[in-house]
Amino acid sequence: MSSEHSEEHEVAKVTDDGLLSEEINKAAFVPIFLMWAVMTVLGVLAGIFLVPHLMPKPYSPEGHDAQLTVQVFTIAAAPVAAFVFALSIYVLFGRRHRGDTPPEDGPPIRNNNRNVIGWLAASTLLVGFLLIWGITEWSVEQSVPPNQLQVNVTGQQWLWTFGYPASGVTSNELVLPVNRPVQFNITSVDVTHGFWPVSMGIQVDANPGQITVIRTTPNKLGKFVVRCSQLCGLNHAYMYAQAKVVSPADYAAWIQQQKSMSSAQALAGGRSNS
Amino acid sequence: MTTTTTAPLLEDTVLGPKAGRLYRHQNIVTGLIGGVVLAFIFWLIGHATLQDNPNWGSDMVVTVTGLGWVLGFNLGMGTFNAIWYWILGHDQTDDDLLYAAGVSQGKRRYWKYCTDHKVVGTQYLVLTLLLFFVGGTLAMMIRTQLLNPHMRFINQQTYNSIVTMHGIIMIVATIIMVSGPWANFIMPIQIGAKDMAFPRLNAMSFWVVASAVPFALGTFFLDGGANAGWTTYAPLSVQDGTAMDFFAFFICTFVVSVTVAGINTIVTILTMRTKGMTMGRLPVFSWGAMIGAALGLYAMPAFLLSMTGMFTDRVVGTSFYVAAGGGAGWLWENTFWIMGHPEVYVILVPPVAAMLEVASTFSRKPVFAYKIVVGAFAAIAGLSILVWAHHMFTTGWAPDLAGPFMLTTELISIPTGVIFLSIVGTLWRGSIWTRLPLYFVFLFVWDFIIGGVTGSYLSDVPADNFFHGNMFVTAHFHYTLLGGAMIAAAAALTYWFPKMTGRMLDEKVGKVAFWIIAISFQVTYIAMFIEGFKGMPRRVANYDPLFASENMWASMGAYSLMIGWLVLLYAVISSWRKGPLAPANPWYAKSLEWQVPTPVPLENFLVEPVVTGDPYGYGESGEAAQHHYFEEGGHGHEGGAH
Repeated sequence: MSSEHSEEHEVAKVTDDGLLSEEINKAAFVPIFLMWAVMTVLGVLAGIFLVPHLMPKPYSPEGHDAQLTVQVFTIAAAPVAAFVFALSIYVLFGRRHRGDTPPEDGPPIRNNNRNVIGWLAASTLLVGFLLIWGITEWSVEQSVPPNQLQVNVTGQQWLWTFGYPASGVTSNELVLPVNRPVQFNITSVDVTHGFWPVSMGIQVDANPGQITVIRTTPNKLGKFVVRCSQLCGLNHAYMYAQAKVVSPADYAAWIQQQKSMSSAQALAGGRSNS
Repeated sequence: MTTTTTAPLLEDTVLGPKAGRLYRHQNIVTGLIGGVVLAFIFWLIGHATLQDNPNWGSDMVVTVTGLGWVLGFNLGMGTFNAIWYWILGHDQTDDDLLYAAGVSQGKRRYWKYCTDHKVVGTQYLVLTLLLFFVGGTLAMMIRTQLLNPHMRFINQQTYNSIVTMHGIIMIVATIIMVSGPWANFIMPIQIGAKDMAFPRLNAMSFWVVASAVPFALGTFFLDGGANAGWTTYAPLSVQDGTAMDFFAFFICTFVVSVTVAGINTIVTILTMRTKGMTMGRLPVFSWGAMIGAALGLYAMPAFLLSMTGMFTDRVVGTSFYVAAGGGAGWLWENTFWIMGHPEVYVILVPPVAAMLEVASTFSRKPVFAYKIVVGAFAAIAGLSILVWAHHMFTTGWAPDLAGPFMLTTELISIPTGVIFLSIVGTLWRGSIWTRLPLYFVFLFVWDFIIGGVTGSYLSDVPADNFFHGNMFVTAHFHYTLLGGAMIAAAAALTYWFPKMTGRMLDEKVGKVAFWIIAISFQVTYIAMFIEGFKGMPRRVANYDPLFASENMWASMGAYSLMIGWLVLLYAVISSWRKGPLAPANPWYAKSLEWQVPTPVPLENFLVEPVVTGDPYGYGESGEAAQHHYFEEGGHGHEGGAH
């Protein structure tokens, strides 16, 4: 009995030591695959549902692009990240050893060309995909549509000013007509600011001595915030402006109202000067 | 683990009564006195001659005073002694050199200009921990101000200066956290050298950076602090008060230190390897230290250049970055990020390489794909000098370069992926020995994957147009630099602690610290990712109530993260003072640093080691696995084989 037992033990030990890599890999396949599948599904679900839930509602095609990119990249990255996580978790819960002396050495696997080449090929493919995605989106965003509304944006410590050269109006509130392409011409009078209309997926710095240009087309009515995205001194945190996307009729009315207000102000200013 | 030696230990050498000459009388106290005295003299001169200029008088006085401090401190420490002797035609005697290396001075040598690489490494470790403590405290102040949207803990200006100094102190600390302590203490032993190639320059690199630290702390007491963020974007930084002069001086001094240390590391590895230590057998950490140092030599001059330009813009009216004088902020942004992006890999490569040693030792397996992962480090270093403008996607500079920089940035994820392959491949089918250093390896894998994936969003221009300047970026680089590099450095610290201190680290307390760090880190920075997704800008002292709950979570996470690091610090300090004595090779590892006795004797090896294979022969039998490190007798080969 006892000899049988020890024989069994002996056999088991031999098998354990002699496990070929394929057998171990077979035994490992199911748990790794399950962990990988669960984490991949979680990542994909997060990409589909969580990202649009967290990000602000886009007010332009560029805002939509930014959100879609995050979703697609999350979904593309999920299987890769899940693969590394699954392997490392499997390793961790596999053969473990505590104590002051080390366990038996592991197998002397120094390299495996198939794994290396496969890994390099997979990551190159993924990078190629990300790159083609990004460059395609970026070049679409570069197109210049006709009939653009020009808006001159000036950053200063710690205020945004929006000028509408076509009508001579200036305002500290950004008002845009819906569905009309707009071109922002941005500059700064003091230090570098970051012009960031949060929900529009566009952003460019306001640089002193330079005019930078970005374009978008607001496609949704509503209100959002223009923030400063570049540390610009003491009141950086409070440097923001309200932005409104309105119907073309409301926009025309707003321009009229601004014009009359500014002429009233000019009148008042003239009086006090005299 | 006893050592039997026939050769006398160098520590026991009886030196002549005047050995060391001037060095005998110099230590940190004379350094401080020299610094203060010369700073005061320079201040007097500056005050008398330069103060009158209304435009730059005070800036110049501050700068001249700083110069006096650095020179005086290093004169007092003895940094320049050897040069004086050389100029005067007196060669130093053997006794002088042994004295400078710390012979017969006991613990006092840690407070002196000591040329022993192990002393320098220990000094660097203490300085790094100190900087992390300061940087962490500043982070707690930031998180307290951001605890809720109505917080009035500190005012705007203080907040900006704290954000600035938290950033730069952490950057400086992470640059030196592995290349300082471990590339100095461990690397020369790993390659079988008696010391670094240039021991005096080695001591200089430490004392120069140590003399720079007071500038960083001094910014808080000058003119309301440095307020332009650690990136000190010009022209905002040109506008700033005199604290910015100290900031620029801090960086320029630091660059001198990193450059000297980098050259030393590279020359040591290229020229000081022992018999049989071919480049193909070089331990992976030494490779990482060398590649990181080489990349630093590329990056740091750009830092010096950009800072000097900003400084002259401020002080003598040049206008490199001032639009009104024909300059451009874009010039600053380019020169700064030409430094800034390689620099994150200067931070990352050495700790990751150290972590591969840890993974190998605690899975009892060779480093997987050794040559390929070394190639990946080199590829990362090469590519990283071509990615800088991804920090400038939204600046409006050269929009046509968006595509090429997207390409280089995304390409770098291929060699970075190889690092994961190597770690997981090393652990795969390994005999996992669950000691504290290995815990950090697993945490690194988790954190750095998240850091890498979120980095891919930022590499994409349309997505970056939403995320730039937003808390998402803050969360991303904390996942890579804190969750990645610093966690890898914690693996290195806990791994080499017994060799450096001669004592075992308290693993029970260490594991408590590990779990606090691991969990609260996720809470803090996942909350910050959510803030970023929702559109909260970075570096703001107050915010929309829209972001209130995420900020509360981030602050709570940050507090417990700090507690976790403090618990680890407690474990380090208490074990260093009275932990159980460590055997020479507690991990039964095969690389050379574990084959010498603990504490390591002055010139490391009593018999010159001869190397016959790489140090990863786990599970291999026969000649190659045994590594006849020591030609004969000596005190060879303890533990290791079993």
